[in-house]
Amino acid sequence: MNIQPFSKTYDGVRVLSFPGLDLEPGKIYAVIGANGSGKSTFAKILAGVLPADRKGRIRDDAAVGYLPQKHYAFRMSTRRNLLLSTNEEARAAELMDALQIRHLEKKRADRLSGGETARMALARLMMKRYDTVILDEPTAAMDMETTAAAEKLILDYTRQTGCTLILVTHSLQQARRIADEVLFFHKGVLKETGTKEQVLFHPSQPETRQFLDFYGR
Amino acid sequence: MGSALQKALALILSADAELLNILSVTARMSLQSSLIALLLGVPLGIWLGACRFPGRGALVVVNRTLMGMPPVVCGLLFYMLFSGVGPFRHMKLLFTVQIMVMAQVVLITPIVVGNMETYVAGIAPAVRETAKGLGLGGIKTFALLCNECVYPIISAYLLAFARSIAEVGAVSMVGGAISWKTNVMTTAIMQYTNRGNFSLGIALGMILLAVSLFVNIVISLVQRRLSR
Repeated sequence: MNIQPFSKTYDGVRVLSFPGLDLEPGKIYAVIGANGSGKSTFAKILAGVLPADRKGRIRDDAAVGYLPQKHYAFRMSTRRNLLLSTNEEARAAELMDALQIRHLEKKRADRLSGGETARMALARLMMKRYDTVILDEPTAAMDMETTAAAEKLILDYTRQTGCTLILVTHSLQQARRIADEVLFFHKGVLKETGTKEQVLFHPSQPETRQFLDFYGR
Repeated sequence: MGSALQKALALILSADAELLNILSVTARMSLQSSLIALLLGVPLGIWLGACRFPGRGALVVVNRTLMGMPPVVCGLLFYMLFSGVGPFRHMKLLFTVQIMVMAQVVLITPIVVGNMETYVAGIAPAVRETAKGLGLGGIKTFALLCNECVYPIISAYLLAFARSIAEVGAVSMVGGAISWKTNVMTTAIMQYTNRGNFSLGIALGMILLAVSLFVNIVISLVQRRLSR
């Protein structure tokens, strides 16, 4: 699976420049970088919700699932939110159990807490199979226990569906725990990419080393 | 003042025929105009709020200008169009409830559009992004967006109804405040006060205030639900 090179410019200022990349099915790619480094813009362009200056989508015929950073809960029950893309009740129950939100299935989703909404949104996305899944900070609002449950679900989903998963995260620990490959962005430029051992433990670029030193190896 | 209030209460309790006629004309006009404004304004507001196209900003500015249109200007416009020298004089609509409804539709539709546009513009990007992320199609995304707008639609309708029932400038110009025909609560209050018949004016004022209070209570409850 191939992402073609693309860039993004706002008001004449280039905020993102991506040289293109081949993605392997079944692998988890963690996208890391400081705030404002272009991680979310990268995710949005890949998901097709933000246009690039020139072609940047994965593949026009590929099914791409995307979980935005700001989770939106539709004004209906948690269960109905999960059943928006498919009517598989058993799958919905399984996902709600995995993310410990089964007791909230009848509650209006727009009245859930931040952490509950994050779990509902992740479960809602995982109702369907996609060729590529893009998750933008899926566990940012979750506590440690639910983060562990969510990470297990992400790993299981990737293994079972064989999809390519792109995980935007600010947590280096999370990248270490579940990623296979790491993409490091610095000021809108993909500075380094490789296996997590290469990028997180033996970085080749000074910006990556500086970032890791600052945020803790 | 005290005796006028007593007489007003007596008129309400005795279901005075003229009072009932004024209430009936008012209800007919307000319900019709607010419903038409809702049918026109909701789709237009959702479209303006959810879609991005060249000229959208200009349309929003035009609508906001129309939201503040003075009712007498609207009344003047309709009077000129439908009076003996106007291009639509052959329709003979001047001094009828129909033209009062038409003038009110022009006055209150922009209010519905403005309310819907503001709300939808706030939620549309998130709804669209989430729906696209789930691989939902355009029709389902639009249905979801409409579902998110249930309370704002109720709120917009009540605002439109409140504006309609309390409006006086346009309806007095095009309706003429003719007794037993086009006299509504606001025009009747003016008319009876000018004639020194305070009791009927007070009775109508009390009913108008009661309706306004009821509408505002419902709007507050709707807004409380909206604030999540």
